[in-house]
Amino acid sequence: MNLNLLAYLLFFPAMLALAVGVAQTCHRNGRPWMLRLFNGDAPLVDATNNILLVGCYAVNLGYIALVVAHWEPITTVQVMLGTLSRHIAAILFALAGLHYQNIAVLLIWSRIARARHIATQRQAQPETPHQQQKP
Amino acid sequence: MTSKIVLTYLIYLPIVLLLTLYVARTLFRNGRVFMLDIFKGKADIADATNRLFEVGFYLLNIGFALRIMQIGPRWDNDPFDTNQEVVETLAGKVGGFAIYLGVMLFLNLFLFFRGRRKARQDGGNMNPVPLVTQPTH
Repeated sequence: MNLNLLAYLLFFPAMLALAVGVAQTCHRNGRPWMLRLFNGDAPLVDATNNILLVGCYAVNLGYIALVVAHWEPITTVQVMLGTLSRHIAAILFALAGLHYQNIAVLLIWSRIARARHIATQRQAQPETPHQQQKP
Repeated sequence: MTSKIVLTYLIYLPIVLLLTLYVARTLFRNGRVFMLDIFKGKADIADATNRLFEVGFYLLNIGFALRIMQIGPRWDNDPFDTNQEVVETLAGKVGGFAIYLGVMLFLNLFLFFRGRRKARQDGGNMNPVPLVTQPTH
C-alpha cells in the first residue's frame, strides 16, 4: 500500500473524531451561556445552537479534508510519522484557535449585553420612585 | 490503466449531495423558530417563506458543487490513474465545498438574526400590513 494513502487513512478518521468531539463539547457547554445572552428564550437558543453546531462541523471537517489535498510524497515510515505529527499539530492549533475565539466572542457579547441591560435599567429608574410612592 | 476521473465524479456527487441535504435540512428545521418570530407567529407565511429559502439554498449550493466538480489536468498528460490522486483530489474538492457550505450556513444564520431584529424594531408601534392580499369572499 502506498504510504501516502496509509497516512491519510490514519489522519482522517482520527481528526474527524477529534473535531466532532470538540464541536459537541462546545455545543453542550455553550448552551447555558447562550441562554443567558438570549434571556432564557430556549427554543431560539436551541435553534441557533444546532445551526452553529452544523456550521462548526462543516468548516472544521472541510478544513481537515482540504489539508489532505496537499501532502508531500511520503517514501519511508520515518517521513510518514514526521509528516503526520506536523499535520496533526496544525489541525490541533486551528481547533484551539477557533475554540478560544468562540469563548472570546461569548465573553465580549455577554459583557455588551450586561452593559446594555444596566443602561436600560438606569433609564427606567427615575420613574420608579414616583410609582413606588403612590400607594 | 484507465483514468479514474469518472470514478472520482461518481464518489464526489453523492457526498456533496448528501452533505447539502443534511446541512439544509438542519438549517431550515431550526430556521422555523426564526421565521415564526419574524412573521409574528403567522405559521402559514413562516412555513412558506422557510420552504422558499430552503429551495433557494439547494439550488445555489448544488449549483456551486457542480460548478467546481470538473477535474482539470494538473500537468500535461496527467494520466490520473492512481488511488492517491483520487483521494487527494476528492479531499480538496469536498473540503473546499464543505467550508463554502459552512460559510453559507453562517450567512443564513446572520440573515435570520437580522430579519428578527428588524421585525422587532418596527414591530411594536406599526399597524400590521397584510403581506398577502386576502381574497374577498
